[in-house]
Amino acid sequence: MKSGFSIFLAILLTLGGSWIGFVVAPTMQLGTAKLTTALVTGDTWPQQRTGEATLGQQIYRANGCVACHTMQLRQDGVSFEVVLTSAGKINPTAVSNLISTLTLTGLNKEAADIAADKISAVGGKTETHLTATGADISNYHAVRRSVAADYLYDAPVQLGSLRAGPDLANIGARQPVAAVHLQHLYAPSSVTAKSAMPSYKFLFEVRKQINGVASPDALNLPAEFATAAGYEVVPKPEAKQLVAYLLSLRADAPLYEAPFTPATTKP
Amino acid sequence: MNDDMSDESKSCSLPSSTEPTATRSTVPMWIFVVTLLLLFLGFAFFDKKGGWFDVRVYAPYNSSEELEAAQPKSAAAVAMAAGKKNYETYCGSCHGNDGAGKIAQAPPLSGSEWVMTKGAERLAHIPLAGLGGPIKVEGKDWNMNMAAMGAGLSDTDLAAVLTYIRGSWGNKMGEVSPDDIKKVRAEVGKAPQPYTGEKLMTMPE
Ligand code: HEC
Repeated sequence: MKSGFSIFLAILLTLGGSWIGFVVAPTMQLGTAKLTTALVTGDTWPQQRTGEATLGQQIYRANGCVACHTMQLRQDGVSFEVVLTSAGKINPTAVSNLISTLTLTGLNKEAADIAADKISAVGGKTETHLTATGADISNYHAVRRSVAADYLYDAPVQLGSLRAGPDLANIGARQPVAAVHLQHLYAPSSVTAKSAMPSYKFLFEVRKQINGVASPDALNLPAEFATAAGYEVVPKPEAKQLVAYLLSLRADAPLYEAPFTPATTKP
Repeated sequence: MNDDMSDESKSCSLPSSTEPTATRSTVPMWIFVVTLLLLFLGFAFFDKKGGWFDVRVYAPYNSSEELEAAQPKSAAAVAMAAGKKNYETYCGSCHGNDGAGKIAQAPPLSGSEWVMTKGAERLAHIPLAGLGGPIKVEGKDWNMNMAAMGAGLSDTDLAAVLTYIRGSWGNKMGEVSPDDIKKVRAEVGKAPQPYTGEKLMTMPE
C-alpha cells in the first residue's frame, strides 16, 4: 500500500477529531459541574435524591422506560411581561393613563425595557416577569427547558430519544401524587384512557386480604381493573422506588441558565 | 476459464503491471473562493447564535450577554443598575468608579459619614446645591468645591444614584426615593449656592 501512512493519518484525524469534540471537550466543560443555586429562593440545585429514588433510577433503567420516554424539555423562546407594582406618589393618574395605552404582555426584551422606562419616567414602579415559551413548555406544563445541571445526580443520564409517551423531565412537579403513579404503572389505561403504555403488573403483588381488610398500601383501583373480591394489589419495593424516582424528576426551579419568574413571586 | 482470462487481458489496453496514478492538475480558483465564503458565513452564524461554547448559554439565548440581560431583577436591583450607570457618568470622574475618591480631586464616598446618614435629606443637598469650603471626610480634611453635579438629573435618576452610593462599596444604607429628592430640590431653589459643611450639619439627616 503506497499511501498507507496518509490513510492512517486521515483515520486518526477523523476519529481523534470527533473524540475530542464529542468526549474531551464536553467532559472539560461539564465534567466538573457542581451544585448550583436556584434564582429567587437561593436553594441548592438539583436536590439530592433520597436513597429510595436513587434505587428507583435503576428500576427505570432496568425496565427500559427510556425507550419510550424522553427526559429533556426544549424551549423555543421567552416572553416578557411588565407588571406595575406601585403607581408611585408623583403622578399616579399619569401612570394609570399610560398603562392603559401600553401593551405589557407577550413582549420581547427590548419592548419590555422600553415600556418599563416609560412607566418609571412618570414615577411608576414595575417588575419584569419572564415566561418560557415553546411546544414542550405548553404540552408538558413545564416552566423552563432542561439544562445540564438538572442531571447532576443521574448515573446514567437517560435523556431518551423517542417520545412514545410524554416527556418525564418535570413529571415530579406535574403529577406529585404517588398513588396516581402507582395505579398508572399497574394499569396505565385506568389513569389515561387508551394509553399505549404496557402494564408493569410484575412490580406489584396480588395477594389475599388479611381478615378481609385492605392494607394501607393497596391500590385503590376502579371497578373494571380491580382484582377478585377478598384480594388486593400492593406495590413491591421496586414499584415504590420507581415512583420515588419519578417524583424526584423536576425541572421547576429558575436557574441562571434558564431563568423565569416563578408563579409564587408574582403578586 | 483460462481462455476467459487471456481474452480479458488482451482487451485491456493498459499493461497489467502499471497501477493508475493521480497526475498534477491545478485546482480551480472558485473552489477556494467558495470555501472561504462558506467558512466566513459559518463563523458569522456561529458568532451570532453559538454563544461561544459558554456552558451556561442554552437556546433560546444566543450569547452570554443576552442571557445576562434576561435575568429577572427585583425593583431594587433595577434601581441599583440605573444608579450605577448615572453615577459613573456624572460622579465617577471625580469620586472614582470604586467610590474611593481621588487624591486632590474629590473625597471618598465609600464609608463617608456624609453618605452613610440615616435619612437622605442632608446628603441630597450636596449634589443638588453643591458643596464648598472645609469639610472632614473619614477624619481627613478637604477644602475644595463641588458644583451642583446632580441638579441636572431627574428626581428618579438622582434618587437611583444616591441609592447606589449608599448601597455599594461596603456602604449599607437605605434606599432614597424620588420624593426625597423632589423635596430637597424645592428647598434649594432654582439658583442654589453651594452649601458649606457647617450649614449642612445643621440640617436633619
Ligand atoms: C468635579 C468633580 C466632582 C464631581 C463630578 C462630583 N463631585 Fe462630589 N465632591 C467633589 C469635591 C471636590 C468634594 C469636596 C467638597 C469640599 O471639600 O467641600 C465633593 C464632595 C462630595 C460629597 C461629600 C463628601 C464625601 O466624600 O462624602 C458627596 C456626598 C458627593 N460629593 C457626592 C457627589 C455625587 C452624588 C456626585 C454625582 C452626582 C458628585 N459628588 C460629583 C467633587 C466632585
